[in-house]
Amino acid sequence: MGALFRSEEMNLCQIFLQSEAAYACVSELGELGMVQFKDLNPDVNAFQRKFVSEIMRCEEMERKLRYIHRELKKDGMKIPDRDENPKAPAPKEMIDLEATFEKIESELKEVNTNAEALRRNYLELTELKEVLKKTQIFFAEHGRHGIVDDAQHALAHDEGGGGFVPVTSVQLGFVAGVIPREKVPAFERLLWFANRGNTFLKHDEIDQPLEDPVSGDAISKCVFLIFFQGEQLKARVRKICEGFKATLYPCPESASERVEMLNGVSTRLEDLNTVLHQTEDHRKRVLMSAQKEIRPWIIKVKKIKAIYHTLNMCNFDVSHNSLIAECWTPVSGLEEIQSALKHGTELSGSTVPSILHRMQTKEVPPTYFKTNKFTTVFQEIIDAYGIATYQEVNPAPYAIISFPFLFAVMFGDFGHGFIMFLAGLWMVITEKKLTSGKSDNEIMSMFVGGRYIITMMGLFSVYTGLIYNDCFSKSVNIFGSGWHPSYDFRTLQKETSWTMNPADHFDNTTGPYPFGVDPIWQSSMNKITFTNSLKMKMSVIFGVSQMLLGVLLSFVNHAYFRRPLNVFCEFIPQLVFLMCLFGYLVALVFYKWLFFTAECPQYAPQLLIQFINMFLLTYTPRVMPANFTGDLYACTSIEPTSINATSQTVFFEHQQPIQITLVILALLMVPTMLLVKPFVLRARHNARVKRRQGLYATSQRTLIHNEEHPEPSDDSKGVKGDKPEAHLSDIELGAVRGKDNIAINGEEEDGGIVGHSEVGISEPEEDEEEFDMGEVFIHQAIHTIEYCLGCISHTASYLRLWALSLAHAQLSEVLWSMLFRFGLTFDMAYVGGILLWAVFGAFAVVTVAVLLLMEGLSAFLHTLRLHWVEFNSKFYMGDGYKFAPYNFKHLLDADLDE
Amino acid sequence: MMNYMPEMTFNVDHGYLEGLLRGFKSGILRQNDYLNLVQCETLEDLKLHLQSTDYGNFLANEPSPLTVSVIDDKLKEKLVVEFQHLRNQCVEPLSTFLDYITYSYMIDNIILLITGILHQRPINELIPKCHPLGSFEQMEAIHIASTPAELYNAVLVDTPIAPYFLDCISEQDLDEMNIEIIRNTLYKAYLEDFHSFCRELGGATAEAMCEALAFEADRRAFIITINSFGTELTKEDRAKLYPRCGDLYPYGLQLLAKADDYDQVRQVADIYGHYKELFEGSGTGPGEKTLEDKFFEQEVNFMKNSFMQQFQFGVFYAYVKLKEQENRNIIWIAECVAQRHRAKIDSYIPIF
Repeated sequence: MGALFRSEEMNLCQIFLQSEAAYACVSELGELGMVQFKDLNPDVNAFQRKFVSEIMRCEEMERKLRYIHRELKKDGMKIPDRDENPKAPAPKEMIDLEATFEKIESELKEVNTNAEALRRNYLELTELKEVLKKTQIFFAEHGRHGIVDDAQHALAHDEGGGGFVPVTSVQLGFVAGVIPREKVPAFERLLWFANRGNTFLKHDEIDQPLEDPVSGDAISKCVFLIFFQGEQLKARVRKICEGFKATLYPCPESASERVEMLNGVSTRLEDLNTVLHQTEDHRKRVLMSAQKEIRPWIIKVKKIKAIYHTLNMCNFDVSHNSLIAECWTPVSGLEEIQSALKHGTELSGSTVPSILHRMQTKEVPPTYFKTNKFTTVFQEIIDAYGIATYQEVNPAPYAIISFPFLFAVMFGDFGHGFIMFLAGLWMVITEKKLTSGKSDNEIMSMFVGGRYIITMMGLFSVYTGLIYNDCFSKSVNIFGSGWHPSYDFRTLQKETSWTMNPADHFDNTTGPYPFGVDPIWQSSMNKITFTNSLKMKMSVIFGVSQMLLGVLLSFVNHAYFRRPLNVFCEFIPQLVFLMCLFGYLVALVFYKWLFFTAECPQYAPQLLIQFINMFLLTYTPRVMPANFTGDLYACTSIEPTSINATSQTVFFEHQQPIQITLVILALLMVPTMLLVKPFVLRARHNARVKRRQGLYATSQRTLIHNEEHPEPSDDSKGVKGDKPEAHLSDIELGAVRGKDNIAINGEEEDGGIVGHSEVGISEPEEDEEEFDMGEVFIHQAIHTIEYCLGCISHTASYLRLWALSLAHAQLSEVLWSMLFRFGLTFDMAYVGGILLWAVFGAFAVVTVAVLLLMEGLSAFLHTLRLHWVEFNSKFYMGDGYKFAPYNFKHLLDADLDE
Repeated sequence: MMNYMPEMTFNVDHGYLEGLLRGFKSGILRQNDYLNLVQCETLEDLKLHLQSTDYGNFLANEPSPLTVSVIDDKLKEKLVVEFQHLRNQCVEPLSTFLDYITYSYMIDNIILLITGILHQRPINELIPKCHPLGSFEQMEAIHIASTPAELYNAVLVDTPIAPYFLDCISEQDLDEMNIEIIRNTLYKAYLEDFHSFCRELGGATAEAMCEALAFEADRRAFIITINSFGTELTKEDRAKLYPRCGDLYPYGLQLLAKADDYDQVRQVADIYGHYKELFEGSGTGPGEKTLEDKFFEQEVNFMKNSFMQQFQFGVFYAYVKLKEQENRNIIWIAECVAQRHRAKIDSYIPIF
């Protein structure tokens, strides 16, 4: 839990990697996954970086793997997933890999081209066979002369322009071929246009679909037969066929020749079939050998590529033949990183160790939380609102309890809660199976991701359900009710409902119902009035407590970041404001619960009105009767009217002065929050400016002094330390000319100045922040208004706890009384049982769909809101950025296609 | 409803596509990308840089060594895929509008095929050279025609550009001169038709598109005139080829029809402020931009402005044109890189 409270302490490190060891070291770091590299050459083009050729080689390998992968998929071969995690191979092994891929690819390509040629051949022969068969049918259809006569008739008729020409005088030629089915209409039309109707086309579909030799897709084609007259037309028809990519086949004129040819084609087809099968087998063998290995290969190549991408982010130091990387690391992981580096160096056989060196920086480090599978989901809920600022208090550990609890307050029903708990438990128990498979079902994977929170929410709902004494809208009487009705038959005859006065019917000897709400309320008419009052008060109590926790956490933040000003100008006024108004309200609630019993119902104050009157400063005091002794505010049985005691009168001693004090105190806090901080900041700024002006005046002298005794730089970079003179002259220039130059110099020297101890003048970042009173003031005003109005509106917002719990209870009651009770009223032998069974089915489905899923989702969202808006706004900045370590883990399940 | 405040209902039918297109538009390479591209040493470098742009992995599955023609094909393919997606999703009148955009490619393809056939090239060799945006079913049967009349009757009569062809039927046979005439006549008819279609659409579309098409028409008129010097084309024939929907119509075109040399064309341009600038800035000497490039630059400007206005179809036209220019740029740079001829690598036309 300690790890979750604040984000890990991070460190900017510099790693000096020896050239020959760099690859192995980075590979080890990738396996470790605790280092976030910074890109040190953001301005360098992708193709001008150092290891661009290696990356290109990787991409080439990926391309080949993709090709193999595609071929595997085409043959429907599955890629086995054995959870292997091969290490990134050494750079020299890359050549082997490349050679292997090259070999497989070329083999596959060869097989494919062979197969394609064979298939094309096969296709052509099949087509020819079909052509021969169909033409045979065409010619045979109308008897010996049938189709030719038709054609002759049609064509001769056209030519003759209506005149009768002897049929036999026309000598017709014909071509036969095959064309894709979808092109037939256009083909026919074009033939008609181009030849002015002087051709005759007959076509018929080939029944079985043919296979495209390249893609292997099924295509449907048509056999056609075109009759025409004369050579010119023949040339034209051929051209058109060519244009439409129709394949023409030689087709003998006589029937016997056709039959002969058909036989020949059939035998050739059979031969071809065997050859095709052999080719397929060969292809299978090639693919099989790749199938087993392809997954590790993909992972290896991806790792190599990731390593080189990382190396590309480093600076290259020519003089030392080493690479310099900068990276963020958690301080707690430094040792592991060191050992990883050492291991990497050993692996590479280098003698010079790689050096890890911590750097000082002004940059804000990334936010990193070590989470486990249980806390992850809570951390993600918080991250969705905003990544925590570096090292600020993390709301996630509190959310682990408060999130399921507030959910349960709204979802309080131990029947529903138990079902939810079981569902969550099932997911938790089977989590290995559920999380290992890459599920495409987004909704399911969402539920699985939230399995722990669902279990917790279910568990907490069982608890609150027991408190509400609510199970599918029914109550259970475990301990025996504390109420004892004493009516008799006569009273029941007189009226249908009957009021039980607690003074007479409540058994005070056993005390109240020991746990939760007394089940007697289930059968009472004013159940809702009672639970409303209870839940409303509870909501306010929970709300104020959670907000109070938030405000207290803001103190922890202020203390940790050493911001005393914020403690005095923000935290304390905020706390006082909250406690004076809403803390007091909560105190009143408890007071009322404790001190107003059934003996004096008339005395009980109406808290809402009382609270409003507190702001309006209107008070109606009680009257002291003449001969009254004793406590005016005690709960006694004297007639309330005699002392003017109503629900709106003052109900405890000194109520008026106490309340007025509280209101004034709270109102005083508003200007404190609003004004103090901006003015203090301004005063500080002015003081700083004055001090700096003084320093400028003396800077010349200081510098001369420094030049005489150059202080050794404590900056271990060494390079910078070698030339202190250059530094000093820079500072001098800056100091004389003014602050702009200092800022520029400070940037150029890349923190070199900061390394000197005499700095004083050279705090560039302080110069940069221009103090703008207006801006600070507006910011503070917004903050103050937000907080003060927020306290009020957020307290009201917590009433959603009551509202949703009421809605949930009512909905489940409706479901019970409208649906299930209806099923129970069937007064039929046997049939009633069956009907009840059906009704229960409907009841169960609606319960799960509406009450568990929909209501559960709505309660979840409201809880989310309460955490994000009401709780987080009190202390959580949330403007950090997430630690994104360089890690090989996500490469393991990544696809090639991304 | 169409003419009465079309902006009101524009998004009902075309809002999604316009949004999508504006998304595509933001993927157009910026000046910065070009600066990086011209630094490339090899085509592999080019590929690597294009990977970091909107083009993504469009070359990832191409085996090395890369050639310029592969890049060209892939660039075209990308544009075509995007365009086809838009075309498949759209409804009237945007669908007709998009079809109009493809007509110009169809004209180019027809001319390319006829010219190829004239030079006895086999049709199978020519087809892959055609722009995929302008391909149509009958295209491949084009080689059966030997005269324009045949071409019309047999091949083009069913295509949407058939009406444009009516004016060319009178030409006797297909020689190079006639093919040029056919091309320009087709273009003229096409531009005029497109122009009137856009005017009928009205609203912002008409505003943006008529301006763009007028510019296109004038550009053609200038180029035709300049190219006709020293050829057999008579002045009357030339005058017939001028598209009559530009700013030059009618007086400018009359003057152009009389022009005898480049200077006279220039004098005509001087009357029109925006063309005057183009002529003034151009030249054939080293370091100077050619007139053609000037026109391209101007076109890019027009197209960019088209994106300033919403609820109109002009953006679709503009996107295709800009993308085409971008493809020309990339190919130019790729050619320069491939041929190690870096002197003129900078004469691409930056878009954004």
